[in-house]
Amino acid sequence: MTQQLTERDVRDIATYARIGLTDEELAQMTVDLNSIIETLKPITEFDLESVDPTFHPIGGLSNVMREDVEVPGFTQEQALSNAPKQQDGSFLIPAILGGGDQ
Amino acid sequence: MAYNANMNVADIRAGLLAGDFTAREVAEASFKRIEELDGEVHAFLELTKDAAFEQAAKIDEALANGTFDEMGPLAGVPVAFKDNMNYEGTHTTCSSLMLENYVSPYTATCVAKTIEAGGIPLGKLNMDEFAFGSSTETSAFGPTKNPWDLERVPGGSSGGSAASVAAGLACVTLGSDTGGSIRQPAAFCGIVGVKPTYGMVSRYGVVAFGSSLDQVGPFARSVRDAAAAMDAICGHDPMDCTSQYVKADFRAACEQGVEGMRIGVVPGFMNAPGLTDEVKARVSEATEALREAGAEIVEVELPHADAAISAYYVLGPCEAFSNLARFDSVRYGYCAEGHKDLGSQYEASRAAGFGMEAKRRIMLGSYLLSSGVYEKYYYPAQQVRTLITQDYQAAYEKCDVILAPTSPRTAFKFGEIGDPVEMHLSDIFTVSINIAGNGGMSVPCGLGSDTGLPVGVQLIAPQFKDENMFRAAAALEAVYGAAPIAPDFAAGKAGE
Amino acid sequence: MKKLEEVLQDWEAVIGLEIHAELTTLNTKMFCGCKLEFGADPNTHTCPICLGLPGALPVPNKAAIESIVLAGLATNCDIEKHSMFYRKNYMYPDMAKNFQTTQGPVAFCMRGHLDLEVDGAGAKERIDLDGLKPGESQGNVTATEDGYVAHVGITRIHMEEDAGKMVHIGGDEGRIAGATHSLVDYNRAGTPLIELVTEPDLRTPEEARLFMQKLRQIYLAIGISDCSMEEGSMRCDGNVSLRRRGSTGLGVKTELKNMNSFKNLHDGLAYEICRQAQVLEEGGQIYQETRHWDPSAKRTIVMRVKETADDYRLFPEPDLAPYDLTDEWIDGVRAKLPELPDQKAARYQKCFGLSAYDARHLVEHRATSNFFEKGMELAGDKASKLAKPLANLAINDITARMNADESFNLAECPLTPARAIELVELIATDAISSKQGKEVFAAVIDEDKDPSAIVDERGMKQVSDTSAIEAVVDAVIAANPDEVARYKEGNTKLIGFFVGQCMKEMRGQGNPKVINQLLAKKLNA
Repeated sequence: MTQQLTERDVRDIATYARIGLTDEELAQMTVDLNSIIETLKPITEFDLESVDPTFHPIGGLSNVMREDVEVPGFTQEQALSNAPKQQDGSFLIPAILGGGDQ
Repeated sequence: MAYNANMNVADIRAGLLAGDFTAREVAEASFKRIEELDGEVHAFLELTKDAAFEQAAKIDEALANGTFDEMGPLAGVPVAFKDNMNYEGTHTTCSSLMLENYVSPYTATCVAKTIEAGGIPLGKLNMDEFAFGSSTETSAFGPTKNPWDLERVPGGSSGGSAASVAAGLACVTLGSDTGGSIRQPAAFCGIVGVKPTYGMVSRYGVVAFGSSLDQVGPFARSVRDAAAAMDAICGHDPMDCTSQYVKADFRAACEQGVEGMRIGVVPGFMNAPGLTDEVKARVSEATEALREAGAEIVEVELPHADAAISAYYVLGPCEAFSNLARFDSVRYGYCAEGHKDLGSQYEASRAAGFGMEAKRRIMLGSYLLSSGVYEKYYYPAQQVRTLITQDYQAAYEKCDVILAPTSPRTAFKFGEIGDPVEMHLSDIFTVSINIAGNGGMSVPCGLGSDTGLPVGVQLIAPQFKDENMFRAAAALEAVYGAAPIAPDFAAGKAGE
Repeated sequence: MKKLEEVLQDWEAVIGLEIHAELTTLNTKMFCGCKLEFGADPNTHTCPICLGLPGALPVPNKAAIESIVLAGLATNCDIEKHSMFYRKNYMYPDMAKNFQTTQGPVAFCMRGHLDLEVDGAGAKERIDLDGLKPGESQGNVTATEDGYVAHVGITRIHMEEDAGKMVHIGGDEGRIAGATHSLVDYNRAGTPLIELVTEPDLRTPEEARLFMQKLRQIYLAIGISDCSMEEGSMRCDGNVSLRRRGSTGLGVKTELKNMNSFKNLHDGLAYEICRQAQVLEEGGQIYQETRHWDPSAKRTIVMRVKETADDYRLFPEPDLAPYDLTDEWIDGVRAKLPELPDQKAARYQKCFGLSAYDARHLVEHRATSNFFEKGMELAGDKASKLAKPLANLAINDITARMNADESFNLAECPLTPARAIELVELIATDAISSKQGKEVFAAVIDEDKDPSAIVDERGMKQVSDTSAIEAVVDAVIAANPDEVARYKEGNTKLIGFFVGQCMKEMRGQGNPKVINQLLAKKLNA
């Protein structure tokens, strides 16, 4: 039996993922996540000893690199074209301290 | 003959060369049709008229000065793109409030190649939010409807890409497929949809969902149109490390026939619980059709296919969690107003910008990657990927292409499936192909006897042997004919 | 608070370093073709990739991978043929993707080491080595004639990317605490960065400082970074814990940041060691926390308390292919390995007869060692005679000039190796005095002329002719009878006065050696 996530666990996950949830959404999310996790059980039941993982489904492809050659990029205006807020050529954000866990 | 929406790639080429119509007329007729009919389907999120007419002018110029033959395989073909593909100057919303106002400052390689090949870009197409879904119901801008029955979903996540082609609003569209998002909507809408081998088409500029699973591919009403699109978009891209050099000629493959080809059938798939009788019957008929065309039918086993859906719902959300972390209200995207600290701005912006399914997948991924849990799900899922890949390799020692249903059932009604877990099960025949990375395509094989809706049969190729599935697909098309525009949208009915 | 030497009597410090170096000598960023440039206008070196735009994908810079392999070879690391990039997931606004692309458990370079020669005052911080005779070993340390050599393990060097830069506004002095807003500039985002992690093998702030210095010399020698601690292209964090002398367990460690000069690295660690000792001696407890060294206040302050280990949700980066380096490829990089500072110093001792001290300091800067070598080439058969004075010129005068003037560029300076050889030869042959030599040194640089020309212009020829000097000496003695009397009464220090008077008479051109000899002879007669 998979251990069920509690609402508290789900609140912690949401905080880490930086997603605000109302209490109602939290309750529903807890139910949803638990039922999805239940369906993942087959993964935990295979005999996988000595099976290597496949992180990249690309066959033998390796060592893919580019030459150290400059390629034209964005102007400052282009870089900031989608910025919600900007000031003096930079992206403007509110105070970093005061919220969250970092 | 004047241009009409039934025309395929070859018809358009011939018509343009014969001077029957101009590329400008193709563009004009296409937009006229979209304006008249898309209100019912809601496939398009944005039209790109300026770009379309600019491209049409280029084509007409090439026709006038005799250089048309130098243009690519999609010259003059009305095309459109799933809204997760960056196209400079257009909105790329991923059907999410998070990106409602985002304007792409660059262009995806697949979009650039389509246009380079002569495609006339009509616009951007609706999808499930960030491609999370199988019905296009999670779009923040309203669902797309299935042209065969407006009360039903077109499938997803590339619902707009499928529905627009099925309704004759575009000739070729591009979609992306992470677990079935091209093949399932192609089946639901009765058209051809191709998910190439991972690495065949560049992912650069396509907003990532599951980076090791995503692949771009075309929708069309005929196998040869899809082949022309594949010839246009495939190949190595220095901007995508996982794209590979491929030498393929899909249009040529369509002419090769299936004589002597070995078609693998998986008994486990054909007897899967949840596979409806009408789908099973049509897929069995398609198998027979290939046998009659000269192919040999062999049974193959994919013993770990059952684990694919679990592996997929581990790997997809983990990669999505990380890929979607960049939507943080700093550089672009939705930004909640009035927050004095970044932490609360993050939480409020992501709460308002993402829909529920996106939140579920992000949170699931965040949980599955956390320390202690990673070892229990993520790592085993990558080991299972090895087993599934080995299964396919073993199967392809006995056959050249595998045949299976695309979806266990035909298109469902809006709201019919509410439970996320049940929705996830509609991917059972498609996800293992993304896990292993090989190519798969859905081809129409008639209508279901119970629902009267299109049924798709899936052809699955070994890695980088996608031409195999095109050979089989062309053989099926010889039997079933090219896909028609959905009856209610048949060209001529409205505004032709 | 007790002094460091006192604290180290009772406590042993266990120090490990994490040293980041930006590969500033490359043309472009780690995963995109944006130009690497320090100090450009904000957000003028960005593209979809380093801005983390949706849909963008990374492509690694081959030269960066070569650089890190070069760094690994130069620090005695094993080069891992098979490794991967990973995503380190955490949200912070200076990281455009909100994950850092870095390496996982296996880095390109693993299990290396550097040997540190510690001597002079710095060696005295290591109080536990008293009584160890040269050649004898204790732990990772072997005693030498004037100090010891410490064998310091390197855990790994991994490849990653730097973050953007933030300016905090609305608070005091740009500090993050108290700021109301921040401005983010992504020019630096995606700069290739290598992180070296040492084993906790260091025991004193001096060892830490020397490690950093030696590593910097190596990185400069292999040309992978400009290693500017001021501009932040080379940065060092330290992990410090204390344990009672004689015990082998590990105490709770703190992580120390902002040690952006060699002096700050030494002083920050020294302060933190003393602070921890005081807390422990007062019965207090050390908390696992990140502390910031404030050089103006000369203390460390808490930045962040780590209650639980960070969970970065590390997983292999699916967008990047794994690495499978071949022996051939690695050998190709090895072939680019230049002579390293240690090898060069050994050669200088062997070929030019320099002392170990001179040789070591000469190789501290590539500019001075290049200069020295060119000079030696030009000196021809006089090389062995001029090696020591040229080395001194390079280590003392030139280094002082470089330290005093940041813009001073030895390679482009009017003091060419040829002129330097001419200068040291003038001194060595007593043609001019060493004091005049200093004047000529400055004049060559300021006026861009040959030393001989300056000597001629200023009439600086040193007079060594005994008869000419004797006349002056006699005159000076005659003119200062009081001083002569006091000298004879035993105030022998007055010899300096007489030398000065003679030099004055001779407008600085008298050979001080000859003047001294003659004065001594006459005054003592």
